[in-house]
This record gives sequence, C-alpha cells and structure tokens, in this order.
Amino acid sequence: MKNGTYLPKIKSHLSEVFILIIFAIVNLIPIFWGVITSLKTQSDITAYPPKIWNFELYFGHYKRVISSGFFQCVLNSAFYSVAAIFLGVITGYLAAYGFSRRNFPFKKLCFYFIVVGIPLSSGSSVLLIPNYLHMMKMGLHNHWYTLILLYTTYNLPMTIWLLIAGIRAVPQELEEAAIMDGCSQFYIVTRLIPPLIKPSIAAASLFVFIGSWNEYITSSVMINDTSLKNIQMAIYDYLGFFGQEWGPLTAAATLAIIPIVFVFTFLGKQLVSGLTAGAVKG
Amino acid sequence: MKQTWTLKDIKGGFYILPAMFILVMFLVIPLGLTIYYSFYRLDYLIKGNFVGLGHYKMLLTSPKILRSLGATVLVTIAATGISMILGLVLALWIDRKTGIFSYLIELIGLVPWVISMVVAGLLWKWLFNGDMGLLNGILKMLGFSPIYVVQGKQSAIIALIFVMAWRTIGYAMIMILAGLKGVDGGLIEAAKIDGASPWQSLIWIKLPLIKTQVLLSTIVLTVSNFTNNTIPKVLTSGGPNDATNVITLQQYNMSFRYYQFGESSALSVLIMLVTTLMIIAYMKVSKYKI
Repeated sequence: MKNGTYLPKIKSHLSEVFILIIFAIVNLIPIFWGVITSLKTQSDITAYPPKIWNFELYFGHYKRVISSGFFQCVLNSAFYSVAAIFLGVITGYLAAYGFSRRNFPFKKLCFYFIVVGIPLSSGSSVLLIPNYLHMMKMGLHNHWYTLILLYTTYNLPMTIWLLIAGIRAVPQELEEAAIMDGCSQFYIVTRLIPPLIKPSIAAASLFVFIGSWNEYITSSVMINDTSLKNIQMAIYDYLGFFGQEWGPLTAAATLAIIPIVFVFTFLGKQLVSGLTAGAVKG
Repeated sequence: MKQTWTLKDIKGGFYILPAMFILVMFLVIPLGLTIYYSFYRLDYLIKGNFVGLGHYKMLLTSPKILRSLGATVLVTIAATGISMILGLVLALWIDRKTGIFSYLIELIGLVPWVISMVVAGLLWKWLFNGDMGLLNGILKMLGFSPIYVVQGKQSAIIALIFVMAWRTIGYAMIMILAGLKGVDGGLIEAAKIDGASPWQSLIWIKLPLIKTQVLLSTIVLTVSNFTNNTIPKVLTSGGPNDATNVITLQQYNMSFRYYQFGESSALSVLIMLVTTLMIIAYMKVSKYKI
C-alpha cells in the first residue's frame, strides 16, 4: 500500500513545484530584473549577453536617486497614506457600525450607494476629470490635504464593506450584555468592538495603504508643487528626466516596491481574505 | 408599508454621516458637476457658451475617438479574457491543495496586483527595451531577431494586453478560489460515485456553483481595464501612431494637453455610462443585501 501511493505523490509534487516555478518566474521577473539592473554599473546594464549574476555590485544609482529629492516624495506618500488610513478607517468604521447595527431612514439607498462606489472607485480615472474640475473650482487642489481627501474617498466604499463584514461577525448579544453591565454606547463603539474586529481593520487599512501608495494619475493632475509630490509622480517624472538611464529608474522603482512587499509579506493573508470578502455576498 | 422611526433609529443615522459627507463631497458633487459642464464650452477651464449635446455629437462622430474606443474595447476584452481563463485554470488546479504551496501561489499571484501600475509599466518597458532589454537579449542568444515591442503597432497592442492581463491573473485566481472553497466536497464525491468523470463534474457541478464569482471578477476586471490609463501611459504613451491610445488616455490628453475640458467632461460622462452599466450588472449578479 505504502509503495503504491508513494510514487504518484512524488510525481504530483514535482508537477506542483514545476508550475509554482513557472508561475513565480512570470509574475516576478520584471521585479527581479529591475532589482538586478538597479545594482549594476552603467556598462554592465548595456552589456550583451545580459549579465544575470556575474556583475559588479554598484549602489551609485540609489545614491543618485536619493540625492535628487526622492526621500521627500517617499515621506509625502507615507504621510498621505497614513492620513488616508486614519480618516478612511475611522469614518468607515462608524458607517459600518451604523449599517450593521442600526435602522435609519434611507438606509437601503445609502447602502446601495456604497456598493456602487466599490467598482466605481476601483478605476479612479473615471473620477479624474470630475475631481479635477471640482477641486479646481473649490480651490482645493495642490494642498497638503488634497490627496488625503481623494484617497480616502476612493477607498471608503471598500473600507465600509470590509468593516461591515467584520462587525456582523460580532454577536449582538455581546453588546446587549455590555449595556446591561452599565457600559455606555460610547464605550461599546470605541472600546468594545474595535479589538474584536482587528483582522477586518487590518484588511481595510491594507487596502487604503496600497491604493494610496500606488495611485498616480490623480496626483499627477492635482499636485504642482515639487514639495508635495508623491512617490509615483517622482518615478514617472524620472522617466522623462533620466530618459534611457535605466539604472536610476529601476533603483527608484525598487525603492517604491520595498514598503509594499514588506507590508504584503506580513499581512498577505488579511489581503487575500479581504479581497474575497469583498466579492462574496455577505 | 409605513415605518415609524424611533429616536434611536434617527440617532443611528448619525453614524454614517461623516462617511456619507466625504462621499457626497468628493464623489457625487464632482460627477454632477461634470455632467453639467459637458453641455458647455470649457476651454482652459473658462466657462463659455452652452452647446447642448454638441460635445457628445462631436465625440460620437469623430473617427479618432471611435478608433480609440475600438482599441480600448479590444484591449479590455482580450486582457480580461486572458486573465479570467488563466485564473480559472490555475484556481481549478490548486483547488483543495492546502498548506504552504497554495499560500505561496496566492501570495506570488497577487504581487503584480499590489505593486503600482507606474512601477509595473516601467519595469516591463525596460524588459521590452529594443536594444538593451532582457527579452531581446534572450531572443538574440537563442538566435532570433530582436523585436522592437513598443515601436510596432501590433506588438505594442499585444504588449499592452499582456501587461494588463499579467497584472490581474492572480486577482482572478484568488476570487475564483474563494468560490471553489464554498463548493461542497460531498457533492463532488457523490458525482464521482455516480460515475461522473472529472470533466463532467467540472462542467456540470463546479462551474455552475462558481458562476457568481466568475461573473463578478469579470465585471470588476472589465471596469478596471476599461478605465486603466496608467499602464498605457507609462508603457506605450499611446503610440505608435495612436495604436494604443485608449479612451482614457484620449480623455487625459484632451484635458491636460489641449485643455478642452468641455469635450473631456462629455467623454467622462460617456465612460461613466459604460462603467455604470457594468456596475448595474455587478449589483444584479451579486444580490447584495443589508
């Protein structure tokens, strides 16, 4: 019996590993090649045949990118993302609580509006011209808060959706018991529920972070000040600035990916469950 | 049916006010404003004459816009189709596999989706680079002649479709996997005992059960690809010869190169209409309930 099952098992493992490797290569090759390019000297970059390992390690491109004001843009992006997470998750949490625990006039209408907002905000370029015209008219463009407001808006529907799923999983009896014990409504909303829905909060924060950190097209029309530029704008501008100099370009790209990969490695599970929660009906 | 609202109910509505305020301010009002402006001249953001449906007429009869729309539809359908088919195949293949293997595939599959489109576009552009790119390096080593990807009309469109599909295969796979996890294993077992082949149980049991997931992700990806302008902008900049000048890139140039905001508002409304149709389909399929 044992011998009979042993061989096919190894065989199926081999095919699994084979597909995993192909899949990993196709998915990761641009990043892999980008990182390698960023660590080569200019002459190694243009060398033929392409050098995959036998090149001299060189950090000059990173130095050049960092000294050209890249860090300011990294800090700006971090600030925009963190602020959008706070604003989005706090307002989103309150709304999600209202939707899952209360009944109020026009609740259905408001909820459908949120659902419509999920795919609408997934392609922010639909909102590009509308937001541009509106922000220009109100004089809200090109400020430190411009992108925070827009990124919050783009990610709010998904945030609310994820948090509703989280709050619904908390039994209502728990709240009733807390009220019997003399807890105030304020205590329930601010202290009791949030620790219980930590995974949902993490998933929502992750979505807002990825959305804000990676957004390019809206920021490119809303921001003119160099001091307010975010990281994606900086990278796009390098395309014009460094032209065919792929060393600094790939170095900037690598620096932009690092935080995403870092967060993703630790919270990947939350992201996957969040993604699927968004599509499976509740 | 008449419903009476208690004070607690009314107070409950306050919870959603901050979020609704943000969404109305930065989603509803801008959309309304755009519809309004689409009936006016708005060159260089200076409001001019009322033109009624003039912009719409111009857009829908302009050969340039129609050609761009054609390219967009082609790219959207091809990229979404490839993503969905490969995503489905991968999902069916790793379904019921657990542990580190399936987790790794899920993580690796999502990497193209979590890195920014600017970075993804730039990195592929580097791989496709005519003289120094990795693709041509490998082709030359294998004895083939190099391909100047973004310079050729057809190859540029293929490259655009490829990168857009590459970005979302993992996403499609994970959505479909979530659907497959909901399929009752007993059902498949029972079919097997009744003599169903793996193909039969796939087509008659699994596929109907994951129909919703497949439809939903198809719609999401269609909307996302249809309105994607970052990847075309970085990868091909609409070239060569407008071959990859997708509709949202057209809209971008109309606004920020020629400053014809009335026309671009009308185009935004048209794009929004297409998106809205998709979203209505999305809501019909998903049967969201509160």
